[in-house]
Amino acid sequence: MSLASQQAALLRALLADGPPPSGFSPERLRIEADVLRRKHSRLIAYLRPDLEESLGDRFYPLFAEFTAASPKTSDVRAREYADSFATWLISRGDLPRPRRRLFRR
Amino acid sequence: MAELGIGIGWRHELDLSIARLPGVDWVEVVAENLHASHLPETLVALRSRGMPVLPHAVSLSLGSAEPLDTARVEHLAEITQALDAPLASDHVCFVRAGGLDSGHLMPLPRTREALDVLVANVRLAMSIIGTEFALENIAALLEWPDAELTEEQFLTELTERTGCRLIIDVANLYANARNIGTDPVAFLDGIPWERLAYVHMAGGIERDGVYHDTHAHPVLPEVLDLLAELRRRTDPPGVLLERDDDYPPDSELEAELAALRAAVTP
Repeated sequence: MSLASQQAALLRALLADGPPPSGFSPERLRIEADVLRRKHSRLIAYLRPDLEESLGDRFYPLFAEFTAASPKTSDVRAREYADSFATWLISRGDLPRPRRRLFRR
Repeated sequence: MAELGIGIGWRHELDLSIARLPGVDWVEVVAENLHASHLPETLVALRSRGMPVLPHAVSLSLGSAEPLDTARVEHLAEITQALDAPLASDHVCFVRAGGLDSGHLMPLPRTREALDVLVANVRLAMSIIGTEFALENIAALLEWPDAELTEEQFLTELTERTGCRLIIDVANLYANARNIGTDPVAFLDGIPWERLAYVHMAGGIERDGVYHDTHAHPVLPEVLDLLAELRRRTDPPGVLLERDDDYPPDSELEAELAALRAAVTP
């Protein structure tokens, strides 16, 4: 397997629930995946503090579920990804649909 | 490059502390957090005091076996120029592969093939940046199978083939000794110290039998001991403290900086 595909397989295992690549410790893969998800969740909380405020303790497990199913790709900006997490939360009913902004005269 | 002295990683959350902390000779900034056309005022103020501000990138993914994203390198070149910095840097790692982005520094296999890829990307990046360029050893929780080189051999060949310099992160060396069994003395004996740009120091914590390089905890005494071990081999041009979260009061940062200075002062 080429180096490019080995690197891609490692990231799929860590970020997208891909199969563990051979030769790696499965326990370490789990720990590394958790480190990456937690680091990513802190960035999302920084970009969208409203999500963590609304969800409280449910923020991290919900983010972990979201990101394993639809991991962030290189072409998506961090803020867009945070917004797509919000959209996913709303679609599942974990967050209320935002009220339409009312313009004052 | 001139002597740097003792520095600290510049972060927005620390900008007021850094401006008033005694014993800060220079700072390093994460290049991806800056725009060349509107640098933070507190950073510009440090520059106008004559303080060196060196950009440090985290996203070039120089170890990726995919074409280099030269737009990211060009951004680093712009920041380097805007800061009038003599040196820019990134890490010995990859962050992107197969369309995914790890958001964190991932280790490379220590193989000839991976070294060739890294060397080619570093040469291209250096031709775009145009100043001196340094690469840093990372903390790895994972080890690739079938290593052909030790980490010190890998770093030495990298400098020989590209002319790059090295940032040696002593906390990462400690982490790798704890987590993947790197021999820290063999590492320190094998590094080409004449290529050293500066040293990184940071804190971390052990969880579930694994040492995590968090940059959110105090520097461990064991890591200070390793810095002293390094100091027996070379007088580092600079030592930088990285703190990225759970920011402590100024007095604690001041004490950590003083401890770094003491460890490298004969």
